[in-house]
Amino acid sequence: MASVPSKLYSDDVSLVVVLLDTNPFLWTATATATTFTFPEFLAHVLSFLNSIILLNQLNQVVVIATGLNSCDYIFDSSAPSKVEPFESARMPLLYSRVLRRLEDFLGSDERSERSNGAAAAAAPSSLLSGSLSLALCYIQRVFRSGALHPQPRILCLQGSPDGPEQYVAVMNAIFSAQRSMVPIDSCVIGAQHSAFLQQASYITGGVYLKPPMLDGLFQYLSTIFATDLHSRSFLQLPKPVGVDFRASCFCHKKTIDMGYICSVCLSIFCKHHKKCSTCGSVFGQANPEAAAAATDRKRKAPEV
Amino acid sequence: MPQVRIIAKNFMDMVAALPELKLDKLYENTFICEAVLRSLPPLAKKYVLQLLFIDAPVTAKSMEEWVLADGLSKHRVAIDRLIQLRVFLETTESGALPREPMPSNITVRLPTLEELDVYALEQWELMDTNAQLWYIMREYISNSEDRGEDPADLISFLLELSFHATGQAYNLNTLIDVQMHTLKDLADLGLVKLQQGRKESWFIPTKLATNLSMSLTDSSARKEGFVVVETNFRLYAYSTSKLHSEILRLFARVEYQLPNLIVGAITKESLYNAFENGITAEQIISFLQQNAHPRVAERTPSVPENVTDQIRLWETDLNRVEITPAHFYDEFLSKDVFEGASDYARENGGLLWEDSKKMRLVVNAEMHAQMREYLRRQK
Amino acid sequence: MDPRFNVAEKRQLNGEEEEEEEDDENNMEAWERAYADERSWESLQEDESGLLRAIDSNALHHAQYRRRLRSLSTVSTATRIQKGLIRYLYVVIDFSRAASETDFKPSRMAVAAKHVEAFIREFFDQNPLSHIALITIRDGVAQCLTDLGGSPDSHIKALMGKLGCSGDSSLQNALDLVHGYLNQIPSYGHREVLILYSALSTCDPGDIMETIQKCKNSKIRCSVVGLSAEIYICRHLCQETGGTYTVAMDEAHMKELLLEHAPPPPAIAEFAVSNLIKMGFPQRAAEGVVSICSCHKEAKVGGGYTCPRCKARVCELPTECQICGLTLVSSPHLARSYHHLFPITPFNDVSPTLPNSHKLPRACFGCQQPLIQSGNKPGLRVACPNCNQHFCLDCDIYIHESLHNCPGCESQRNSKPVTGE
Repeated sequence: MASVPSKLYSDDVSLVVVLLDTNPFLWTATATATTFTFPEFLAHVLSFLNSIILLNQLNQVVVIATGLNSCDYIFDSSAPSKVEPFESARMPLLYSRVLRRLEDFLGSDERSERSNGAAAAAAPSSLLSGSLSLALCYIQRVFRSGALHPQPRILCLQGSPDGPEQYVAVMNAIFSAQRSMVPIDSCVIGAQHSAFLQQASYITGGVYLKPPMLDGLFQYLSTIFATDLHSRSFLQLPKPVGVDFRASCFCHKKTIDMGYICSVCLSIFCKHHKKCSTCGSVFGQANPEAAAAATDRKRKAPEV
Repeated sequence: MPQVRIIAKNFMDMVAALPELKLDKLYENTFICEAVLRSLPPLAKKYVLQLLFIDAPVTAKSMEEWVLADGLSKHRVAIDRLIQLRVFLETTESGALPREPMPSNITVRLPTLEELDVYALEQWELMDTNAQLWYIMREYISNSEDRGEDPADLISFLLELSFHATGQAYNLNTLIDVQMHTLKDLADLGLVKLQQGRKESWFIPTKLATNLSMSLTDSSARKEGFVVVETNFRLYAYSTSKLHSEILRLFARVEYQLPNLIVGAITKESLYNAFENGITAEQIISFLQQNAHPRVAERTPSVPENVTDQIRLWETDLNRVEITPAHFYDEFLSKDVFEGASDYARENGGLLWEDSKKMRLVVNAEMHAQMREYLRRQK
Repeated sequence: MDPRFNVAEKRQLNGEEEEEEEDDENNMEAWERAYADERSWESLQEDESGLLRAIDSNALHHAQYRRRLRSLSTVSTATRIQKGLIRYLYVVIDFSRAASETDFKPSRMAVAAKHVEAFIREFFDQNPLSHIALITIRDGVAQCLTDLGGSPDSHIKALMGKLGCSGDSSLQNALDLVHGYLNQIPSYGHREVLILYSALSTCDPGDIMETIQKCKNSKIRCSVVGLSAEIYICRHLCQETGGTYTVAMDEAHMKELLLEHAPPPPAIAEFAVSNLIKMGFPQRAAEGVVSICSCHKEAKVGGGYTCPRCKARVCELPTECQICGLTLVSSPHLARSYHHLFPITPFNDVSPTLPNSHKLPRACFGCQQPLIQSGNKPGLRVACPNCNQHFCLDCDIYIHESLHNCPGCESQRNSKPVTGE
């Protein structure tokens, strides 16, 4: 399994789709452990977004919030804005628009949390599969827009732990990104590494990084993640510090490094079963040698 | 063929050529900082962003470690550019000190990106619009001193203009006299549109003006093409524009003209017509390539190779004989004098032909006076 | 004994048709041919003022696509594809003098290399746990280009770096070499050889019939795709060993014939007993870390995998741990086929003439494209039956053909489809 074949990018015009983890559990957890708070995080990210737009006037930025119960678009720099005064208030437009939409989003995310009951509280992971899917749909639209479009990439600013129940959906999104040659960059701001994002960046040829110190987040963002795809072919970028290829089992949604695979549909189980719950195959012998011998006998039959 | 004197390849070369003091003064303006940043090669942009908040000198060696072996030449280009523009300053320990090229409010201001259809665009064709615009602006700036204007002021005003919002009206009374004067010239070029109100006047920047800082970068113009050229030299142009049809007529024989389609053929005669008018084969080919219809633009090459080759061949047909005014020298007194004279002519780049056996020499006419002087001295 | 086979039976059946086609093509100029297939002029339309109208085939195309999707979703549940078969396939490519022939453009060799690359990728997509090795025949000698391995890129890289053809071809040498390797593999693996044969003869050191018998006894299934004409010895080989023999008529046909070998042969797939196989998902080590791999017994820098059971280092996946014997796979390999297991339901058309159509969402949930036509009328759209989000037609196609996730359902915690239980 290798990363995508390198594609020749002729210029540095970029579309960056930023997936922002807004999981409240993450931010309450980090707030108690360190001094890095959500507003500080936002300040770093907003400066970063601004820098991207500053670098080239054709650059485009889209922000999608990865919530606990929902995902939604927060900001799109290409969306037509209402008439804006040239010398606007001290607060730049991007900031106020992002902040306003983010506030709306957090409110509605919390409301759906209440209607959901305690279902989500048990799993403090945010809906990465949803925001990845949205980002890829958006990027497809950019591809459709004509031969001349900015080079898209996805940046996941993720801190919540992986949700094993999203395993299949996240993998589907990763493969679709790989097919469309869209790199997924990951910047992990949580306490532990993310196996999903390690695989995502490895498979799509993106950069995976877990900054050791979040105080200098902007420096990491501007040094590594602001690099356009054109320049990446000349630059030393962080090499993966190992990729966690563990999978989630289909029966208990546990993350496992060893398990049983159904030979018909490749479903993964953490324990030995008599029957595959996905494809319904009944498992004959556990001994693969005997099974192979049986097929070998059959194979002798002449073919037409 | 019209010869154009090449002074600076682009706008930023001109900015870089400004004296240090003037350049530093320019950087007090956020627009300039932003425009300079955008004009940089991608790698250089990245370095600026990366070093923005670093206030200690960074050694050139450690910067070289940022790139892979393949990228070293690009790295050098980027660093040279940054030093040229005084974004980086070299310090004695041969390290480059990043200076903060932009005041902190730069990251706060956002340019507007909307694009607007512009009445002026129609006046620019055949070459890439931005490249032509640059041609003219360059002359305009280099002549500014003759008109008693400061080129630095002019540059900063032009760059500021490029960050105005397209289609917005701005009041003229915010401008100083020099700027007013410049603005009138720009209106002729279609960079701005002037509007007379009853009491006050307004100017509206067009897309060309806002693209001004983009023409500084190497990004290709992003527009949809309309021409399909086939291997049989036939040409189909999906356009309703009268201008397009006139441009095509310059070098192709137009056969049919439907309401939204022009059908023509590229022939030897039609091309000879174009060459006589001073249009070069390269200009024609790049026009065809830049305006290739999206259906064929995806192919490489977008214009069939046999067609481009033939266009070039027909052009070289015309250039088989080159006429250069020259002077013919013979009857040299001695071999030494002859060799001295031919060496002298060669060193000065004027030697066209020599025959050392018969001691004859043909030298460019421009050098005749120098040659005469030289030969007189030999006596 | 020198059994030289030089039997060239030109395929009578296809011969005549082919010539006619060629004549046809010769009469056409290159630029004509490009349009002959498309017949684009037949679908031209004019509007009231006589202007050519851009053809809006979008809605038409989408309707066709949806029909196909519906029929697929009913069929797919019925077929049982064996994904977990472990096949060991040697791909033998004939790079003898005959491969430099230019009846395939630009040459047989270039075309063969190109399609073998596509085949290798397709093969690993369809058989994530299987292995491939490459062998080339040049100057009468068979040479092993790559060892059995599961990484498509290392094979492709090796192949592309070794192009060039010369000398005679020898079927026997190739089969002997393959036989030697395939005899060592575990008995539960399916042993196969796929030969791309350009030459019309084989120049062998011994009796090829004995070699064919040897392959038959070792249960090696040999298949041949011919690039020139049908020859007897290949037919004989395939009949004896239970493989298939086909001859490519043109490039497209050759691609088709090659890709037919990507899914497991029905004879194996049908009778294979379903099984639970114990497997490990090793972690990839950090780049730049030096360690000794258990497969080559060499110290290597970076890029290895660690067996989760015994912590031994291996170089490539999929493989079997040399120390503890656990089958090691890369989990993304398996995950590639999961969208077959959990297909997303087709979306429903939303009629724009609903009574309160002005209340419908104004933009596609996936890509934010406006779903409002000119005149503030709701445009064509589809809705997911689970999450009721609306999507544009382009997203509909992308979601079902490439993404295999419904962004609406994934962005909603409660409506997440239950998988696997």
